[in-house]
Amino acid sequence: MGNVLLDVRNLRTEFVTQDGVVHAVNGVTFALEEGETLGLVGESGSGKSVSMLTVMRLIPMPPGRIPSGEVIFQGQDLLKLSPEEMRQIRGNKIAMVFQDPMTSLNPVLTISTQITESLELHLGMSKDKARKRAVELLKMVNIPEAERRLDDYPHQFSGGMRQRVMIAMGLSCSPQLLIADEPTTALDVTIQAQITDIVKRLKSELGMAIIWITHDLGVIAGLADRINVMYSGYIVETAHTKEMFANPLHPYTVGLLGSIPRLDEGKKEKLTPIEGLPPDLVNMPTGCPFHDRCSFRTQKCLEENPPLMSVGVKHWSACWNYEAVREKRDEILHREILQPVTA
Amino acid sequence: MQTQPVVKPRPAWYVTWQRFARNKPALLGLCVITLLVLTALFAPMLAPYDYAKTNLNNVEKPPSAEHWLGTDQIGRDMLSRLIYGARSVVFVIFIVSTISLTLGLTLGAIAGYFGGWSDTLISRVIDFLFAFPDLLFIFFIAATLKPAIVNSLKSFGQTNNIQGLVDFVRSGYADYLVVMVALSILGWAGLARLVRGQILSLREKDFVLSAQAVGVPTYKIIFRYLIPNSLAPILVAISMGLGGIALAEGILAYLGIGLQPPNPSWGIILSDNVGRYWREWPEMLWLIFLPFVIMASVVFAFNFVGDGLNEALNPELQ
Repeated sequence: MGNVLLDVRNLRTEFVTQDGVVHAVNGVTFALEEGETLGLVGESGSGKSVSMLTVMRLIPMPPGRIPSGEVIFQGQDLLKLSPEEMRQIRGNKIAMVFQDPMTSLNPVLTISTQITESLELHLGMSKDKARKRAVELLKMVNIPEAERRLDDYPHQFSGGMRQRVMIAMGLSCSPQLLIADEPTTALDVTIQAQITDIVKRLKSELGMAIIWITHDLGVIAGLADRINVMYSGYIVETAHTKEMFANPLHPYTVGLLGSIPRLDEGKKEKLTPIEGLPPDLVNMPTGCPFHDRCSFRTQKCLEENPPLMSVGVKHWSACWNYEAVREKRDEILHREILQPVTA
Repeated sequence: MQTQPVVKPRPAWYVTWQRFARNKPALLGLCVITLLVLTALFAPMLAPYDYAKTNLNNVEKPPSAEHWLGTDQIGRDMLSRLIYGARSVVFVIFIVSTISLTLGLTLGAIAGYFGGWSDTLISRVIDFLFAFPDLLFIFFIAATLKPAIVNSLKSFGQTNNIQGLVDFVRSGYADYLVVMVALSILGWAGLARLVRGQILSLREKDFVLSAQAVGVPTYKIIFRYLIPNSLAPILVAISMGLGGIALAEGILAYLGIGLQPPNPSWGIILSDNVGRYWREWPEMLWLIFLPFVIMASVVFAFNFVGDGLNEALNPELQ
């Protein structure tokens, strides 16, 4: 731990459409250490998936383009690699697991073919060796009777099993970084728990770093070391997980926390939704992108977009009025119990 | 550990075959097509007479022990002519479908996967071919390209003393070339459009993204992920298209711009006989209706098989 594995600097991604240029990712900067688990949180369209697809260079270009940014992975800028060099990294050093396990496997190829594909591609394994490794991988993700299931087709697997197969595929070459794009969203709650348990166990066994994209704060709470909250293509708050839940200092994070149900709360309390809609990514408003929906709004918010400011120990927030948020947020969250973590 | 026998899941092709076999017309169609192909392959062994041999002492004879399907107006054996006609039609179907399948799959996949200017170019060519009346287009080729091809082949054969080539042109086999070129040029467009649409929608599927995320190279994505997944509607279209090719071969021959007499083609047999005997058709059933019935049943057979494939392969119809 301690070494920086992935260093993303001022990354921007845009899509040229008939309606204009969609600013999907607007200057995202963060670093990920080896073995660290980073949660990427935000609502639909906040740029979580697009920023990670950009890191993987899986954005279709055109219409996509990357006007600026660096993605330094193990000392080299992924954005400057040739497509062939990038292909060598995908699946080998960085793997990605997608949201919908029902559609993420090729229906006409057997499970075995799809798992051994990257083993043969990246590690140059023989067919026999790759097959043995595939069995190990399936056992690792708790697929019963792995040898027998290997020659099955995806439609013979349930959703949870398919997602485990996807994770096994992602892990096949022992990548240093696993990007999981909402891997539990399409699954029901018990299966979600199984998948997160498997990922937690494998992470401690294999020591890889994980970026976990989600809009489910409940899932991320038990999983991530650190959380980046994204809103309309910006990172608006970043902090360690405990700190983020105890001491949120961006109105949007407060809003997200207010909109999840809590067990320690009286039955009659209503959830607090965030009013309004995210801004149009084609015609971005001036100032803070959240100002339209923000109850802490001041004149400054309309004029100037706040940068990430250090607001605590390894805690940054992009809000001019974070002090006001600190004072008022417990009212919004209906809570008195939690106290800020003092580090 | 477990010792009890494990039930192996049935392979996908077997399940598909079972569903196909449940469809009786499709099964019948398959039999007709098999019969057609076998007839074409073994025509020289099956035909009792030379298909071009005339016998002016024995014309317009109804079916008999010597001539099972009778003779035509210059005493040629109808059975032999129909058998050799099967050969022509299978030959044309085979070559035309191979060419248009290769062109259609490749160009359609390129247009769908890469998009951009290659898509624009290929799609405009397809639009052009669709906008142009088929028959007019074939007339055009027959009028302009055919003499050019035939003459250049002939002169090439003569200057280089290749007797085989000269014989080839003289025997009328060059006519096949024209028919096949024309039908292939027209045939690939529909297939390419279908493949392009399939690839366009499949390209956005998560499993393609997953494959890219694992580093699978582009050619593998096209040939192992995209084309196999679009195969069902393509197979159906091909099967239906084969009937169309059979019919087109007949129509062209009937109109006199396809195969030329004395080459055997069901279209030629029809045009010879219908023109001459349409007034007294009840007495000349073997000359008028036989080629017609055979042609129609071949077209029906291909369409039935297409329907059967569609039902067996399309998951939404189950």
